[in-house]
Amino acid sequence: MSRRYDSRTTIFSPEGRLYQVEYALEAISHAGTALGILAKDGIVLAAERKVTSKLLEQDTSAEKLNMICAVAGMTADANILINYARQAAQRYLLTFNEDIPCEQLVRRLCDLKQGYTQHGGLRPFGVSFIYAGYDPQRQFQLYQSNPSGNYGGWKATSVGANNASAQSLLKQDYKEDCDLKEACGMAVKVLSKTMDSTKLSSEKIEFATVGKTKDGKIYHHLWGAEEITALLKEHDLAKGEDAEMG
Amino acid sequence: MSSPFSINGGACVAMVGKDCVAIACDLRLGLQSLTVSNNFPKIFPYGDVYLGLTGLATDVATVSDLLRYKVNLYRLREERAISPQTLANLVSSSLYERRFGPFFVSPVIAGINHTTGKPFICGFDSIGCIDFAKDFIVSGTASDQLFGTCEGLWEPDLAPEDLFETISQALLNAVDRDALSGWGAHVYIIEKDKVTKRLLKGRQD
Amino acid sequence: MLEAREFPPIFLCPVCKAPQLITSKYASTFLFIYQPPKSCQEVLLGITGKDFTLIAASKAAMRGATILKASDDKTRQLNKHTLMAFSGEAGDTVQFAEYIQANAQLYSMRNEADLSPSAMANFVRRELASSLRSRKPYMVNLLLGGVDPITDKPSLHWLDYLAALAPVPYAAHGYAQYYCLSILDKHHQPDIDLERGLELLRLCTDELKRRLPIDFKGVLVKVVTKDGIREIDYDDSKQVQSA
Repeated sequence: MSRRYDSRTTIFSPEGRLYQVEYALEAISHAGTALGILAKDGIVLAAERKVTSKLLEQDTSAEKLNMICAVAGMTADANILINYARQAAQRYLLTFNEDIPCEQLVRRLCDLKQGYTQHGGLRPFGVSFIYAGYDPQRQFQLYQSNPSGNYGGWKATSVGANNASAQSLLKQDYKEDCDLKEACGMAVKVLSKTMDSTKLSSEKIEFATVGKTKDGKIYHHLWGAEEITALLKEHDLAKGEDAEMG
Repeated sequence: MSSPFSINGGACVAMVGKDCVAIACDLRLGLQSLTVSNNFPKIFPYGDVYLGLTGLATDVATVSDLLRYKVNLYRLREERAISPQTLANLVSSSLYERRFGPFFVSPVIAGINHTTGKPFICGFDSIGCIDFAKDFIVSGTASDQLFGTCEGLWEPDLAPEDLFETISQALLNAVDRDALSGWGAHVYIIEKDKVTKRLLKGRQD
Repeated sequence: MLEAREFPPIFLCPVCKAPQLITSKYASTFLFIYQPPKSCQEVLLGITGKDFTLIAASKAAMRGATILKASDDKTRQLNKHTLMAFSGEAGDTVQFAEYIQANAQLYSMRNEADLSPSAMANFVRRELASSLRSRKPYMVNLLLGGVDPITDKPSLHWLDYLAALAPVPYAAHGYAQYYCLSILDKHHQPDIDLERGLELLRLCTDELKRRLPIDFKGVLVKVVTKDGIREIDYDDSKQVQSA
């Protein structure tokens, strides 16, 4: 049945579906898990590192553009999009001498993604993103986007393999006014349950945080291996507390 | 008076010391003899490399913004900060792109190369010819005066604190003899692992 | 080095001696185009205080020595809390101002948020700077007054037709610069309230009435606060004796 409708991205099937877009979504669900949690004083992004499927890519500069993003899907596609986002962000900075508001950057990227669900002959970008950023108007923000060009703001979200179970774990554990430290704890806990490998290590996962320093400056931080190991240790030791949280 | 370089006024100077460099600028923005603003800095940081721009104020803003765009994308692409030498070549080629309709600016670069640890300063003309120097670089409407004060005050291998005193005296005394620059100054002392920014009040008349 | 290279000269307005920097159709050669001196007679004034920005613009629309209209509004509202005042070549001014106004409103609609005054100023600067090196640049001098929607901080930006941008506590354009800036240098403080701001404005307009050779028909006064922009009744009937 689908044969007749899925070879072109621009053709709806009789059920009103765009198969190529759905296949792209399917491709992403084979990629490693990535998740983001919004805390009251920052955001944590955590991702599973698989050899070919997962990378935590730093989007725009740590200082310059108040966003970082986690990628699930094809890294090659992601690179194109990340490069596009960087240019869009810098172009905004050039015209307005201000950092681009988070939602605008996400929207720029999603407008590009959307184009590939409508114009013929091309395949959609096979990537989902989780974006973490800060702007003065809406403070800390967490967004997610997928190949169809849809995006939304979230308090906690996940993409990639097992994202359904990760999502339900997040829903269970999320506390409205958690701080960044608690959010990091929640992130490792969820990752440990959704990942295939039983033992977590700093090679298998990646962490990044956006937060505010004491003097009000926004920082973006991609964690080093030691920091991740320290976090894992802390939460292995603090198993009891974790159970309470859950 | 008839040159676009001297409508808005302004002065900038960079100096080399021992394992450190300094760059300083005045703060005036004018329309010929009328002062419009006394808080118009002409030094722009690109990572830990500093660029001073004197000349036509509109081009100072345009060039500094354009280079911020290019340097930010460079840093994201390369995942490292730009070196002073690379920035110098970027400035040079960006200016020469406009060979037949130039930006009316005279840039000055100061920074320390983190690979070699060596201080680096250089200046440019408005179409991007690089002027490498081992001692000091001057630019702006007070450049003649700055040549004099720098020639008189600069000596090799100044320590950071002495370099600060030298560049400050050189700039303040030069701009006092120029009607189109002055109104205080910004001074940056760049060492390997730290940058000190100082604001000089200067004469307010 | 090109130190001694001759650049095409900048010509001066025969009346006000303001520099005239104009690009030709080849965009690379700077040529002389005569800017009508009348824009020097137009008054634009801006004063910031602790929670407001005042903008005053003369009400006379002039062509040569003739006053065509005595109730001209040389301002445009860009968004809820940014106001732009303009002077310069007739035609260019309103054309440019309304182009900026349209873009500002488009941004507000698209993004459900207003640009901050400083972002607005930078946007205007870029537009003017790219126009400067085009075949026919806009000859417009601008003041941009606003209050930041997030921090509630008032701001004032001074822009000339060369697209030089400066954030300032108080500013003027045209001949008014020569008379008013010195008055404001002496009396202005950053934390003044609106009442004091209007007193300073009165000092300025009295001086202009005393010194300017042509009647500028009084000023239209608008104030930007965090609540928006409103016009202020400003009594222009008072006769000022010339010195």
